[in-house]
Amino acid sequence: MWNRSLQIFATLPILLIAAGCVDVQSALNPAGGEAERIHTLSWILIIFCSVVFLGVAIATMIALFGSHRWRQRLAGERLVIGAGLIFPAAALSALLGYSVMIMGMAGSAEGQDGLRISVVGERWWWRVIYTARDGRRIESANELRVPIDQPVHVELTSADVIHSFWVPKLAGKLDMIPGRTNTLTLNVRGPGISRGQCAEYCGGAHALMSFFVIAMPPADFEAWLVRESQPAAVPADEAEIQGHALFVRSGCGACHTVRGTNASGTIAPDLTHVGNRHSLAAATLPNNAEAFARWISDNQHIKPENMMPPYEIYTERELAQLSAYLESLR
Amino acid sequence: MWAKLALNRLIVSLAVLLTLVAAAGAAFIWSGLYNVAASRDHFSVTTWILEKVLEQSVATQSAFIETPPLDDPDLVRLGAAHYEGGCVPCHSRPGEPINVIVSQMLPSPPHLADVAAGQPPEELYWIVKHGLKYTGMPAWPAPIRDDEVWALTAFLMELAGGEMDNYRQLAGLDRVPSGALAGTEPTHQTEAVTLTQCIRCHDDAAVSTISTLVPQLGGQSIEYLERALKEYAARVRPSGIMQPVATHLDDREIAKFADYYASLDVQPGQHVIDPARIARGRALATEGDPKNAIPRCLACHSRSRAAEFPALAGQHADYLAGQLRVWQSGGRNRTAYGQIMASIARRLTDEQMLDVAAYFASLPPEAYRNDAASASPGSE
Ligand code: HEC
Ligand code: HEC
Ligand code: HEC
Ligand code: HEC
Ligand SMILES: [Cu+2]
Repeated sequence: MWNRSLQIFATLPILLIAAGCVDVQSALNPAGGEAERIHTLSWILIIFCSVVFLGVAIATMIALFGSHRWRQRLAGERLVIGAGLIFPAAALSALLGYSVMIMGMAGSAEGQDGLRISVVGERWWWRVIYTARDGRRIESANELRVPIDQPVHVELTSADVIHSFWVPKLAGKLDMIPGRTNTLTLNVRGPGISRGQCAEYCGGAHALMSFFVIAMPPADFEAWLVRESQPAAVPADEAEIQGHALFVRSGCGACHTVRGTNASGTIAPDLTHVGNRHSLAAATLPNNAEAFARWISDNQHIKPENMMPPYEIYTERELAQLSAYLESLR
Repeated sequence: MWAKLALNRLIVSLAVLLTLVAAAGAAFIWSGLYNVAASRDHFSVTTWILEKVLEQSVATQSAFIETPPLDDPDLVRLGAAHYEGGCVPCHSRPGEPINVIVSQMLPSPPHLADVAAGQPPEELYWIVKHGLKYTGMPAWPAPIRDDEVWALTAFLMELAGGEMDNYRQLAGLDRVPSGALAGTEPTHQTEAVTLTQCIRCHDDAAVSTISTLVPQLGGQSIEYLERALKEYAARVRPSGIMQPVATHLDDREIAKFADYYASLDVQPGQHVIDPARIARGRALATEGDPKNAIPRCLACHSRSRAAEFPALAGQHADYLAGQLRVWQSGGRNRTAYGQIMASIARRLTDEQMLDVAAYFASLPPEAYRNDAASASPGSE
């Protein structure tokens, strides 16, 4: 019994360190304004609590084992009033004030102007909507691209049930509520990738509802957005042409949009530039030909209960053609 | 003290008695003296017990079944058509004597007109669905297809109604040409193999199907027809009506039937009068219902579809809605193609199923004929 608890305690620090190692999704390794403030606040709280804990532990020791003189001192009225009433009241009020100030800075401090991106929680993926320079609405999915070193307002809502948007490296979590828009402001320092996930149980495939935030220098971001606003690439080689024909015949366009073709479904991720994304199916699979093939034919095993029907109808060759087509959508 | 001794005695004698009885029973079984011959009737007391057990069991087991409306003539005709192929071999046609060989079964299959008259529909339904142990009465081959079992029940209820002088018409026997024409088409076969007389149920160049619950096959693609027949034969597409038919066919015959029906023109589908329903169905088919994650049907059921996907235009509304209900109750999802449609069918409401079925039935059959061969990038 004791041995087991000891073992568990012994592994705790290791787990904490390991969690820190998972760099893309760690609150201990902040890369954005809000996350940095949360990070500082956490450390202040941890250190403060540790000091108080130490003090209490010492006081307890004295009470138990201290000499008579020390015990007398401990029982003195001065100490009880000073350390038992005034200190906690003052310290906790100060901390409260500090944390309210820090958390209140989210959004307001960085103003309302700057880029706006909409993210809609769907079962079980993320619809991401950018506004191009010409005002057009550009849809993408499961990946958020943001310019660095400037506030980006992410407008969060949901199409079905309550989801929650959480990128530990960049900010605290914020719920996505149907019929309501919550705004989260990101301000990412330096280019890089962060991982986020749904932090509110939303049924079936909730555990596999994640995404990546890719931060890039403003100029790169602008260039990327211009490319993202273009219609899909036209299939070039034979495999891609066959793959596109299969895509049309199999009715993939019933649910998916590929801008510039007749595929105009709106109930599933936009695939216009799917080949360019960092992952597939809400960060469930990497993005490569093999993953496309596996997803198409076996998605109900890979991500149980997701809303796409499995297509177990293709030959190896047909799957390769479909994957070639999807990969070409860059 | 005395009491305790007496009790011990009693226990010992009981044990000895039980052992003796068990030994005698074992000896009787091993000796083979019991005569299992069907040629000898049971003792009248055995018969009485067996019948009583059966009667009580059926009554109890069917106590909580609710009977849907059964007076739909299409339901009765589908039931009659299957009765002809599936039940006549044992129970005979109404008014004809029981087959001599079959009549020597113990118990022998009764004429159902007499039986059905005295039995509530739930009990008939339960018997047809589950069969009867130790009697030779088989269970329904596709237990998930309650709708088909109700069609048989509807026919039995009609049978119970009295003299049935239109049986040949109900069962589609009059649709099989006789005389010079007999057997010229593969879909006629001979009267002896009624099971595979497709024309009794399905369409041909001159007539539509015998019931709106039977699909029209004319104009479907070869790929779809072959696949459907093979899936029935492999028992992965559940239907107690088509599975027995398809298991009769070999690959060559399947190819022949698929060719025949693919080249046939479609007959006009079931006439639906409700324009509001059709309009709602059209909206669903062309735009879907994104709020409820329902894609537009035409992405997969229009001209640009794969040859393996079925045509719906001009198909009977009753059949289409019936198949959607099969998916909702968990059937037809064990095949690769069935799974694709299953996830979509499950999202429809009852009203939406009726709407969209009415819309497709209202279309001229030429609408959305398949042209998979011409699918090219950017076309739909
Ligand atoms: C009934 C609607 C539907 C049909 C039809 C459909 N999909 Fe999907 N698809 C979805 C949904 C919903 C998702 C999101 C799944 C998730 O991640 O939870 C998805 C995800 C995907 C993804 C991953 C996208 C991303 O952003 O990572 C790919 C690739 C894909 N589908 C390809 C196809 C192909 C190819 C076909 C045709 C063979 C097809 N889909 C047919 C609904 C559909
Ligand atoms: C292999 C022969 C066989 C076939 C085929 C068969 N039955 Fe039977 N059926 C029997 C036998 C034997 C009984 C039992 C009679 C008894 O218990 O007295 C029976 C009993 C019944 C009963 C109950 C009669 C009663 O006494 O209550 C019904 C109803 C019935 N069958 C309907 C059908 C239907 C409908 C079909 C076709 C789907 C069918 N049967 C196919 C042999 C058959
Ligand atoms: C007793 C009536 C009956 C007979 C005889 C019959 N069928 Fe059927 N058939 C049906 C019914 C009812 C269905 C619908 C079954 C279902 O619910 O899956 C069907 C379905 C089919 C289908 C699938 C159609 C679709 O749209 O999915 C094919 C193909 C088919 N039958 C071919 C044949 C052929 C070929 C024959 C002759 C060898 C034949 N049938 C004989 C009643 C019959
Ligand atoms: C992503 C493609 C896709 C979409 C979208 C789609 N279907 Fe289907 N549908 C199929 C496939 C594949 C089959 C064949 C299933 C099988 O063979 O078991 C089918 C079969 C059917 C059948 C059975 C036809 C027959 O002859 O047995 C009906 C009815 C049907 N679909 C109705 C609909 C309706 C209504 C919609 C719109 C709400 C729809 N489908 C949307 C792919 C699709
Ligand atoms: Cu969730």
